[in-house]
Order: sequence, then C-alpha cells, then structure tokens
Amino acid sequence: MEEKEKKKHRAKHSGPKAEKKRKRYLNDLGIGDEENARKRNPKAFTVQSAVRMARTFHRTQDLKTKKHHIPVVDRTPLEPPPVVVVVVGPPKVGKSTLIKCLIKNFTRQKLVEIRGPVTIVSGKKRRLTIIECGCDINTMIDLAKVADLVLMLIDASFGFEMETFEFLNICQVHGFPKIMGVLTHLDTFKNNKQLKKTKKKLKHRFWTEVYPGAKLFYLSGMVHGEYQKQEIHNLGRFISVMKFRPLTWQTSHPYVLADRMEELTNPEDVRINPKCDRKISLYGYLRGAHLKNKSQIHMPGVGDFTVSDVSFLPDPCALPEQQKKRSLNEKEKLVYAPLSGVGGIVYDKDAVYIDLGGSHAHEKEEEEVRPNHELVQSLISTHSAIDVKMASSKVSLFMDSRPLGSEDVEQEFVMPKEEREIDLKTGRVRRKALFEEEEKENDDAVSDEEDDQEEEEEEAAAMSEDGSDGDDEDDAEEESDRELLGEEMALGRAKRLKTEVAKEEAVNELPAFADSDDNLEMSSEGEEGKTAPEENEMEEDDDDDDEEEEEEDEDQQRTYENGSSDSEFEAASKRVAESKQYEINREDTEMRSQISDHSLKRKAVLTTDSGNCTAEEASESEVENSSIDEGDDEGGSHDELEAEESNGKEFGHTQAKKADSIRQTKLKAVEVEDDDVENLLREEEEYEEKIDFSADTTGALKWKEDLTQKAAQAFLRQQRSTPNLRKLIYGTAVEDEDHESEDAGDELGGLFHVSRPDKASKQKVNALDCSKFLIEKPQDWDLEEVMSSIRDCFVTGKWEDDKDAAKLLEEDEELYGDFEDLETGVVHKGKPAAEGDESGSEEEEEDGKTSKPEHEEEEKKKERMDKKRKLKEMFDAEYDEGDATYFDDLKEEMHKQAQLNRAEFEDQDDETRVQYEGFRPGMYVRIEIENVPCEFVLNFDPHYPIILGGLGNSEGNVGYVQLRLKKHRWYKKILKTRDPLILSLGWRRFQTIPMFYIEDHNGRHRLLKYTPQHMHCGATFWGPITPQGTGFLAVQSVSGTTPDFRIAATGVVLDLDKSITIVKKLKLTGFPFKIFKNTSFIKGMFNSQLEVAKFEGAAIRTVSGIRGQIKKALRTPVGAFRATFEDKLLMSDIVFVRTWYPVSIPTFYNPVTSLLKPAGEKDSWSGMKTTGQLRHERGIKLKQNKDSLYKPIVREKRHFNKLHIPKALQKALPFKNKPKNLEKKGKTPKDQWRPAVIREPHEKKISALLSALSTVNNYKIKKAKVKHREQLKEYLKVKQKEDEQKFKRQKEAKKKIYRILGQREKKRQKSSLKGSSKGEKNM
Amino acid sequence: MAGGAAGEAQCLSYAGCNFLRQRLVLATLSGRPLKIRKIRAKEEDPGLRDFEASFIRLIDKVTNGSRIEINQTGTTLYYQPGLLYGGSLEHDCSPSRSIGYYLESLLCLAPFMKHPLKIVLRGVTNDQVDPSVDVLKATALPLLKKFGIDGESLEIKINRRGMPPKGGGEILFACPVRKVLQPIQFTDPGKIKRIRGTAYSVRVSPQMANRMVESARSILNKFLPDIYIYTDHMKGVSSGKSPGFGMCLTAETINGTILSAELASNPQGQGAAVLPEELGQNCAKLLLEEVYRGGCVDSTNQSLALLLMTLGQRDVSKVLLGPLSPYTIEFLRHLRSFFQIMFKIETKTPEEEHMGGEKVLMTCVGIGFSNLSKTIR
Repeated sequence: MEEKEKKKHRAKHSGPKAEKKRKRYLNDLGIGDEENARKRNPKAFTVQSAVRMARTFHRTQDLKTKKHHIPVVDRTPLEPPPVVVVVVGPPKVGKSTLIKCLIKNFTRQKLVEIRGPVTIVSGKKRRLTIIECGCDINTMIDLAKVADLVLMLIDASFGFEMETFEFLNICQVHGFPKIMGVLTHLDTFKNNKQLKKTKKKLKHRFWTEVYPGAKLFYLSGMVHGEYQKQEIHNLGRFISVMKFRPLTWQTSHPYVLADRMEELTNPEDVRINPKCDRKISLYGYLRGAHLKNKSQIHMPGVGDFTVSDVSFLPDPCALPEQQKKRSLNEKEKLVYAPLSGVGGIVYDKDAVYIDLGGSHAHEKEEEEVRPNHELVQSLISTHSAIDVKMASSKVSLFMDSRPLGSEDVEQEFVMPKEEREIDLKTGRVRRKALFEEEEKENDDAVSDEEDDQEEEEEEAAAMSEDGSDGDDEDDAEEESDRELLGEEMALGRAKRLKTEVAKEEAVNELPAFADSDDNLEMSSEGEEGKTAPEENEMEEDDDDDDEEEEEEDEDQQRTYENGSSDSEFEAASKRVAESKQYEINREDTEMRSQISDHSLKRKAVLTTDSGNCTAEEASESEVENSSIDEGDDEGGSHDELEAEESNGKEFGHTQAKKADSIRQTKLKAVEVEDDDVENLLREEEEYEEKIDFSADTTGALKWKEDLTQKAAQAFLRQQRSTPNLRKLIYGTAVEDEDHESEDAGDELGGLFHVSRPDKASKQKVNALDCSKFLIEKPQDWDLEEVMSSIRDCFVTGKWEDDKDAAKLLEEDEELYGDFEDLETGVVHKGKPAAEGDESGSEEEEEDGKTSKPEHEEEEKKKERMDKKRKLKEMFDAEYDEGDATYFDDLKEEMHKQAQLNRAEFEDQDDETRVQYEGFRPGMYVRIEIENVPCEFVLNFDPHYPIILGGLGNSEGNVGYVQLRLKKHRWYKKILKTRDPLILSLGWRRFQTIPMFYIEDHNGRHRLLKYTPQHMHCGATFWGPITPQGTGFLAVQSVSGTTPDFRIAATGVVLDLDKSITIVKKLKLTGFPFKIFKNTSFIKGMFNSQLEVAKFEGAAIRTVSGIRGQIKKALRTPVGAFRATFEDKLLMSDIVFVRTWYPVSIPTFYNPVTSLLKPAGEKDSWSGMKTTGQLRHERGIKLKQNKDSLYKPIVREKRHFNKLHIPKALQKALPFKNKPKNLEKKGKTPKDQWRPAVIREPHEKKISALLSALSTVNNYKIKKAKVKHREQLKEYLKVKQKEDEQKFKRQKEAKKKIYRILGQREKKRQKSSLKGSSKGEKNM
Repeated sequence: MAGGAAGEAQCLSYAGCNFLRQRLVLATLSGRPLKIRKIRAKEEDPGLRDFEASFIRLIDKVTNGSRIEINQTGTTLYYQPGLLYGGSLEHDCSPSRSIGYYLESLLCLAPFMKHPLKIVLRGVTNDQVDPSVDVLKATALPLLKKFGIDGESLEIKINRRGMPPKGGGEILFACPVRKVLQPIQFTDPGKIKRIRGTAYSVRVSPQMANRMVESARSILNKFLPDIYIYTDHMKGVSSGKSPGFGMCLTAETINGTILSAELASNPQGQGAAVLPEELGQNCAKLLLEEVYRGGCVDSTNQSLALLLMTLGQRDVSKVLLGPLSPYTIEFLRHLRSFFQIMFKIETKTPEEEHMGGEKVLMTCVGIGFSNLSKTIR
C-alpha cells in the first residue's frame, strides 16, 4: 500500500527554476541564451528607433543623477563628539525610564535621577549624550537644534499627542535629524488583534510624518519598572550602529551642549551686589565646527555673549584607546553626567572634583576605610584652619620619645600645607596645597595653578584607587609572591612584622599625613590609612618625572639598598627621617622591592609592606634597575651594619632631591647640577607644562608615557620651525593678552605696541597707507652671481629631476628602447642609461653567467617593474577611467580636501593647533563667559538644556530679515501683521514684530494685513542677521500649554538687508469743483502746490471709472489742480489717485529669556502681548467706525413702469408684435349680464317633464349601448371561431391540392425518366 | 556685551590713520564696528586727508546702512558697517592717490556684495605710490579667479589714463558675487614661461614707450626669450590731464602665478625728469627682484590672497609667498583681531640654489564665511 501511495518525483517543466535549468542546459550545449542570440542574430538587436533609444538613455541618466547629492567636504573630526540622543515625548510616556534603561544597558550602572545630559561610552567608537526633552516648547526647540538622533516616545495606548507632531515640525524646520519612534505602553492592550491594528495604524501615521520606512520600535511591557532587557539591548544596538547625515546648520556652527556649569564670580562682588552680572564657566563637548576664542555665542534662553576664554580639558568620558578588542571591558564603559552627580573625577582648569556617588567601589571604601580614618575624620570635621591644628598637634616618634611639634619639623622641611574640603555627601573633595615658598610668590599664578593641579591629580588618582585598595593589595601580594617564588612565609612574616612596627608607624602618621609629600612607608597602613594609597598613586604619577633623575640616582642606589637592607627598626627610624621626601622614597621602595626579589626574606618582608600598592612601579623599575641591583644587593645584604652611615648619607641626598622636586612642581628655575641635556629638557618641560597644564590633569596617564622623549622631540621641533616670523607677526602668547586688553582701552595705540618698540609704532601710526612692498636695497642685477640666483626660476633654467623633459625622455628610452623587430629579426637595444643598468641588461642576455650579484639585478628588475606600472597607471587613467563624470571629479576633489584638512595640523600638539584652527569638535571644552545675568545662576535648573551656539561673522548683528513664510496648516488662526510673534531662527528664540507682504508681479512688496490661509507670503522683521536659507518657525506664545497645535508658521530666510521697502496702498481722494468739457479742476486731494508737482502726470480715476491724468497745480485753492479725463465728469464724482506708501518696520527684537525665569516658571515666559490680548485682558472694546459695521441689507422693491408704445408705432407693427390689448375675460360686468328668465308654472312642468324624459331616454340609450357592445363582443368571438375553422379548412384543402400536385409532378418526372410520351398523354 | 539683545559685536579701537583701508575693509566684512582715533592728531594739518575721506565715501557708496561718524577735526572716526550692496556706481577718486588705492579695497569687498558691483572710478590711474590699475588688472584678477570668482563680468577696463597730479583717468571695474569661496592649494609657483608688460605714455612723445621697451628687454632677454611688452600711447580725451609715462611688467609662470613690477615717471613739476631708458631698466630690475622674492602671489596682492583664504570655507588653504611685506604683516594682525584667525607660517628655503630667496608658506583654515548680502530666490 505504502509503496503505491508514494508518488514518483516529477521534474518541473515550468516555472523560474525549470527555466533556469533549461537555460543552463542549453548553455552547456552552446546554444540558446539571449547573449548568444544576440551574437547569432545581431541584426535583430540593432537600434530600432533612435528616438526611443535616446529616451531610454535619458531615462537611465536621469535616474542615475537623481541619486546624486551635492558632495560636501567631510569635516567630521577623527574623534567625533558624542552623539546627541534626545528622548522626547509627552509626559508620562516613559522617557526617564527609557534613558535609565539605556544607560544601564550600556554601562551597567543605575542612575537614580537624571538631570541634564548624560554622556556614556556605548561602543568602541561611539559615545552618546542622552538628554531628556520635556514638553516645554522652548526646550523642544533648543534640543531639536542640537539633536543627532531623536527617540520619539509614543504612548501606544493613547496614540499620537500634539507634542510629537510639534517636535517633528520643529525638527523639519531646523534640519531633520534622525528620528526613531518608540512605542511604549503596549502592555495595556489585552486584545492581540487590537494591538496589531494600533501598531499598524501608528506606524503608517509615523511614516507619513517622517519618511516611509522610518524605524519604529516597540517596547512591549515593563518588568520591575523597567523595559524588557532584550528590547532595550536591541534599541541600544540600533543606536550604536546608526549613521547620521550632516545637517547644514550644525556643521557650519560650533555648539556645545553644556553638561556642567560653574560660577566664577568674585564672591566679594556678589556680596556687595547680589544682583551683579556673573561670570560663569560652562563645560561640554564641542560639536559642529571649530570654535575660536573670543568669538560670539548665543545661549538660547539667555542671550548673546562674547566668549571670554576657552580652554580644552581632558576628555572625561574618553573612548577606549586600543581598538583591537571586540567589546568594551567594564572599566571602559564610562558614564559622565556631572549635573546628575555622576562622572567620577571632574577636572577643572584650577580644581578637581571627585564624585564618589554611585560607584560600588566607593561604597566599599566608605564601609571599610572610613571608620579607620579617625585622623582624617577629625581633620574633616575640624573647623579651625589646618595650620593652626598642625601647630598644636604633637607627635611622638618613638614610644618613649618627646612628642614632636610642628615647629620641630618645619625647621628642616618645607611642607606643603593642605587645605581640604570634603563634602562627603556630594562626595566632592577639594584640596589645595600651599608650599611655603609658594606662598611668598603667590602672585605667580602659573606655578600656583600647576601645583594645585598636581595635587589634585594625586588626589584624584588616589580617590579612584581608594576603592580598589584591597584589590591592589592583593595584586601586590600576588606579585611579590611570584617574585618570592611562592614563599608565603614572607607574607606571613610581613604581616607579623607590620604589627610590630604598627605602633611606631602610627606615631609617624601625623607628620606623614600632614605632609602632602609622598611617603611610601605609609603604605604599610594602606588598609587603614586613607592617605597612603593616595600617596602611592601620586608616586605613580610622578615616576615619569623622576625617571630622568633615576640616572643620577643610580650611584645612590647602593645607599638606598643599604638602608633598605637594614633591620626593621632601623628602617622605621629612617622612615621617619625620610617621611617628607617622596621622590627618593619612591625610588627607595623600588630598590627595596628589587632587593626583596633577590635577597633575604627579611627584606622581602619590607618589600611586601611598601610594595603593597606599588607593584606596578616596582615591576617597571625592575627592568631598569635589575642589573644594578643584582650586582648590588648581595653587597647590600652584607652591609647591614653600615646602616647608620648610609642613613646619614641619604639625608644629604634627600635634601637635594627635595629641592629638585620642589623645583619641578613649582616650575622655578632652581640651579641643579645637571648636565646640559637635562637642562634643556627641563626648559622644554617648563614650556610643555605651561601649555599642557590644562590638558594633562588626567588620571589616565597616557600623556606621560615617554615624556622625556616627547619633550626632546618637541624641543627640536620648536627649534626647527623658526618661530621668529610668527613671533614677529603675532607676538608671543603672553603679549597677546596684553595686546587684547590694550586694544580695548589703552591709549597707546593697539597693535603696534605688540612687537615693535614704542618709537617705531608711534611713527608708523600715521604713516602712508600703501600696500606696495618697496625695496630698500635692490640687488645689482648686472652681476653674474646675482643673476644666477634666480636663474632656475625661469623655464630656461634647470628643472627638477622629475620634471625635466630631457631626463624624462631618457627614462622612456631606457624603458621602451629595446625591442625586437620580429620581421627582420633585428634586435634594437635601448640606450643604456647608467652603468649599472648596462650590466643588468647584459646579465639578462647571458642567462647562465651570473657574474654580478643577483640582488642587484633584482633591484633593477623591480625598478623597471615600478616604472612600467606607473606608466600603465597613467595609461589607464587616460583611457579607462575616461568615463569619470563631473560628479566623480567633484567628489574626488572634496575627498582630497578632506584629507588635507585632516593631515595639515595632525602632527601639532593641541595647544598650537587650537590657535590655528580653533577648538575642534570633539574636544571637551570649558568656556568662560562674563556678564551673565545673575538670574541665570540663581535660577539654574539642570533639567533645562544649556546650549552655547557659536555665531558666524556678523550673525551677532541686527538688521532686516526677509522671510518666506507660510502659516502652518494645523494652526487654527491666521497671523496678523504687526502682532508680536516668537520666532526660532538659527540658535535664537526671540520675539519680534513681523510684517507680512506679498510680491506683486512687478516686484513690489505689498503689505498684507493677514497671512494668506494656504499660501506662502513674505515677511520682514527687524532682528538678528541669520544666513540665507536658514529655516525658522514661529509660535505665538511659549508659555503654558494649549490643546491646539502651537507652531503658527514656518519658513525660510531669503534676504538680509539694512533697509526695506514694503508698501501699502494709499488712495487720495478729491472732488471736482469746476468742470469743463473733459477738463476738471479737482480740489481736496493734496495740501500744497509742491505735492501736486510731485504727482504731475499721475493717473487718476473716478469711482465711476472715468480715467484721467493730473496736469498742473492751480494757484488757488491750495492743493488744487487741473486734470483731464476721457469723459466729462459730474459734480457728484469722486476722483482718486492710487499711490504706495512705504511702511516702517518696528525695530523690536526681544530674545526669549526663558532660562532666566525662576525654577518651575521656566515655561511661562511671556513677552510683548498683542493688542488683541491686551484688549481682552482689560476688557477694552474696540471703538469701531460705524461705517465699517455690517448692517442687515434692506433692499427696496423696485417697480418698473409699463412699456409704452406710441400708437403710430403700434399701428405700423406687424400683428404678432402688436401689443395684444385683449383684456382677460374676467367676469362680465353687471350691465352686460343677460336678464334672468323666469318661467311660468306650466312651462316649468313642461321643462321638468322634458328633462325627466330626456333622462329616461338617456338611460335607455346608455343601456342599449352596453347591450350593443356585448353583442358585438359575442359576434366577434363567433366570427373568430368561424374564421379559424375556415382557415383550417382552407389549409387542408391547400394541402390536398399540393399533395396532388406533388404526386403529379413525381409521376411526370418518372414518366419523363421512362421517356415515353405516354405519360404526357395520360396527363 | 549685555546678555540680552543681540547688540553689536565688540568694537575694535585703533589709533592712527595708517592701514585705514585694511581696517575699514575688515570691519565691513566681519560686521564689527570700528573706532579709529588720533588720526594725525599731532600734525599741523590734523584729521583725515581728502583721499581718505574719498575712500570713506566710497565705502559708504558700496554698503547699505553703514554709519560713519567723524568728529569736528577729523581725528576720530567711528564706523559701524552695514551690508555690502554693490550695483552700478560711479566714484570720483581723489587725485592725491591713484585709483589703485581704492581699487585694492574694492577687490576685497566686491565678491561679497548683494548685487554684482560695476563701478566707474575716475582719477589717477598710474602713479608712483600705489599699485597701478595695470598691475592690478594683470595680477589681482587671475588671483580672484583661483578662488572661484570668475566669469565674464570680472574685468578691469581702462577707459582713460590719467597721470598725476591732475589725473583724468577712468576705469571700469566689474566683479560678480559669490556665496562661498573655494579653498586654494597654491604652493608651487612653477617656472616663469613668459614676460609681458605695458609701456604707456600719455601727453608725451609716443617714442618714449618704445624706448622703455627696448631698455627693459635688454635686461630681461638674458633670462627668457619670450618677452612681449605692449606700447600703449593714449591720445586726446583718453590721455587724461597730465603728461607722464611708465611701465609695468608681469612674469607669468607655467602654473599661472603672475609676478609684477612697475615704475612711473615723476609727476609733472615734481622731481627731475626721468629718462625712459633708465626707467625701463629699473623696472626690469624690479621685476627680477620680485622674481627673486618669488612665491605664488605677487607682493602687492599678498594681503588679498590671505584675505580670501581666510574668508574661505572651513577648509585648509595654503599659499606660498615671498617675504611678507610690512603691509601684509599688519594685515595678518588685523585678520587675527577681526576674525580670530591665525596663519601657520613656515619659512621655506628653496632646495636648489638658483631659485631666489626664502619663501613663506602660509596655511590657514577658512572661517566658513558666507556672503550674507546675497539674496536667494
């Protein structure tokens, strides 16, 4: 059965697959195939119609060119700024939740509250700045201008809301960023079908608004108050691979979405006048274009400012450095949101802020470390100044020694004093270290700053390390373990010994801590002491600096080793002595670690102590020092007894070292016995430091890698590129500042002061203004040598090798010279160019004899190949790529320019680069602004975005701006001329008074009272100059919410000018006071003769339509004139002339200062009100002209007279046209009535009888008629029957006859066939 | 700057009348107001001279909405720039400076007008102080073309020649407008392939021109055979009001660089009479001097080239110049104060010996200037 059921496979004979197979089969056979057909029968495929061909060609070309965009130079920086992702949607749609989920998805961190932008590293090459956009239209407008990607949240359970469409329209106007829809609240749908339907509906609506196929994401439901992980992950992946198209406005203007704000106003000024203008600094990633210092910026919601200073800072949320890995590790998943209080360490120009909130490491630190930090705690909680405390505090070095006071210590060492403010709640630590010497030279701002920086650096590093303290220890232990070949004994001993020493160290603590100088010994208390790890880290920072010194110190190492190999007790005492010299100590520890590697376990104990957190350094220095150490440590191990001596030695060294370190940190020129190279390097360093100081405060120490080398390179570079010319022109950087300030106010005369002595400048100030470059001392051009100095400038001179025609020709010869004439067999040989070449060619001929070295030949060969390839390329370029279009060329050109732009300043350090090209996008910048209204600072709310938008040249100026405007089709009212309107144009939002106009066919701009309903019109306002082609939108008010669509109008800037011509119609009326034939005298139109004179020849018209012309003014009455018309006027005519009157535009420009409003009222800015609003508010009714009121139209009934035709005419008319005077036959008048007949009784009887008889008769007749009709019917019936019968009979009779006839005929035929005449006879 | 209104940009302040043109031109282009004080304050004849006043009037003519305030003595000038307007204009230049003085600034402004500029300038066409109209025609126009400012309407036409002191010359300058300029990479001047020139003479013997040509050729022929110097003798109404003669020479390289030199005779009644032979020789030597200085842009047009580079799009532009003239140096400083732009300046010594003196490679990134006056339809 089963076998039967199985069908046999049947090969397909039709369908695309079968077709394909057949084709392949035929192809294999070598027949069939279209191409072959084309070959077989070329005639069939020739051009049938040239026109059609041309058309198809055109069409393909059209399609091709349609795809082209105008190529633009790619100016995206190598390291682009984070992508701005704006999350927008109506309230309660899940914006914050989405942001939190996204952040968690990318960084595994949970942010509790989100304020302001959050920057995260989302991938190897991408960072995101996520910001939430509320429903305030101000915020929506601002963020639409800076957005790269918009996540548009839509509550699917509700559908689209106005905010969504408003935001879309704002985006459309200000350049369309990428928009991705996200549907939320999808879990509210119980019915699956309903859900599907809604999704589809929303999707299609979204598509019509954005573009068909725009991505719409579905977030199905919430799990524990968060979106589903997988969905968020998918969304995140979409975001991180998204590509963005450059938007014109954004790429042509620099802008910063500030993520941090600091106030820099002098507190004293604020105290004196709390309402004084403030100085603030704003931080953020620079985007868009290059930003120049001192340029103009606009802060939407605040106003226009001039940047008083810009500096770039290290990237707080840097991309991972190496790109090899596939994914980021946890450390690289950074998040930076200072406004939300996240972001770890924040570097400022002159301060460091450390944020400890949120990090789990910090929690640990808080738990573990803090309780032990009694000292620190006490210091923190102290309210008296630290130096006072210090002075009062005493320390006993040894158990039974006299307690040391601060005075004891200070005699010997310079200690940096420390000021520390820790706000444990916010987690910000600010510490300032002041050296004694520094205090004296406190005016030296640079050194001060630097010092601070270094301090903060340490601290920063320390803080970051703090958390991982324990880990570090472990690491160190591990390392030392390894180094000790697994001898855990040492560790145990270390612990034990540590406890032994603990007391002494505890004693040491205070001075060691008070001294911000590093002390490694402190690290033994790494677990307990908070300061210790800090200091260790500081060492790490410094070790580069110290590397130079290491060389010098090599000879001292022995001593250190000696010291280190001392007994613990001695070591401990030594530590006390060393406690203020971190540099040496560091090396010391390094040494010690070395020793510990190789020598006694007891020393190893020490190492484990000190090496706790310095494992890294130890291993670093290991390489350098190991060789020496190995030699030395044995000796060291034997030198225990010399401990005291070595200690003494060390003191000497440490003093010197300390001096050195101070010099380094303070950048003071202290004489140090160094060789020349070092001196140079130091100078260079100073230079470098000056430049880099803002930049190099990172905890990430990448810049410090091979610093010395870099310094040397930089120095050389500086030497090479003679800065003299630059200096001559621009002066030095410091002088610059002076010059700027001088420019502003100094009397001495601006620029000339810069690089020239005063005298010269004064002479030059009023010198002749001439661009010619006069030659003071012309050379003697008759001399041969002078002449030869420019000999090669002419085509007759010598050319460069690669351009010299003769040489090129020779090369060609060399290449192509040799050939063999195959016909004759003659071998032509090229001219050998050089000796070497000759030998090479010889070798080629004599194959076997390889007398010359082979590699030489190979080289030659290679050379030739190269040349040939080059030539081939040239040939190809000439012939093959001939179809490169204009578009391709243009693209190529743009590409080249982009490459040049990237390459030009690549090798320069950022500081110089910034001077040439400005701050480039992608940099993290700090912008200082002065004269900011105090309300901005006082009412600062991080929920509202702060944008610094750079302005181009003269975009800070004001003038008349012409727009093309269209009322938005969803806006319910039309706009009125001269009503204030809020425009969003460029970066700005401002209120202004636009005037609407329409362009007449002759180019006249005629004023409109209202915007047309469905048409574009022109608009002009007085306001900030913004480049042509910039889009704008208008709203009537930015305050509050209305259920209606808020965007009133959109459009584009057409023209900018300083004057404007909009006119409105003006009709002047006059009345004739004297009328001749066609000439009239008109009065009342003008007021003087002069006015009339201006209008001579103007066309005038009467209301009834008679046209005329003004001729000449009359003496009396004043303003009257003579005019001619095409017809005679009536006295009742009104004459008018149509003129155009220029309208002036109110110079009203009022920026929307929404950010200055107090918190919570930021969306309630209201500017100038319209007259309508004012009237409505105050209940003022408009007094209307009675004449312009509408009244019910009363129309009188019109009566027309009868048409009267004269009798004579009537007579002459033909009858049909004659008025028919027949009156209607109405009632006959009484007089014409006939008299009534009154009958006699007899007559009455007779007549009654007669009528009765007639009635009877009538009845009879009627009856008879009926009867007759019935009879007739009967009769007809009978007759029909008879007829039928008759017909039947006839038919039968006919039949009979025909049959007989037919028989007869037959017979006749038969007989005729017989041929007898008998038949005929019979008939 | 107050926080509120988009007021005016920071006002720049200078002292002295030197470089007045630069300052006014840059103020106009950057839209920043300008104040110049102490204009010849200490001199016997204080205040602005007639040629400066004429220049200011010219600036006022080509702009719309400029505000110019000059104090009673003319020692202080306040200038608030308007928008460049252009159109068909006429201007009578003061005969104390030649038309070149005015034309140089117009060359900077003309590409950024609202309407293409077409201006007739009357005055002295050639003198000893300023670059003559001939030189500007031969050098500045090709330079403008490199920046994408070209077309039929870009021209300088000399209708009449006028020599100092009385002038009487007339030229027509027309320039199209552009929205943006192209960046240039102009670092290889190339070798000089030909030398051209004009020897002009007005109200003197026509033979003078020929004599100048002869003498100039005698020097230049040692370097190059391809020399052609036109003789331009103007007569009648087109010869102006004063006699004089002179010569300008241009050397063109294979890459389109044009270097120039010129000399004019002393104005009538000032200084000793100059022999045409001598003038021709000196002029040729001046040209050789210019060749020695070299660069891709003529020394008179250095500032124009730098300005147009500055006003380019946000791309890198490079140009190789000869030694910078004092005027250019000051111009660079002004560029920095008006546009915050700094040039990267590298000195280049030619690799080979016989290529003239040291060169300067100027590199900058354009500020992304766009013509705000031009209307879009």
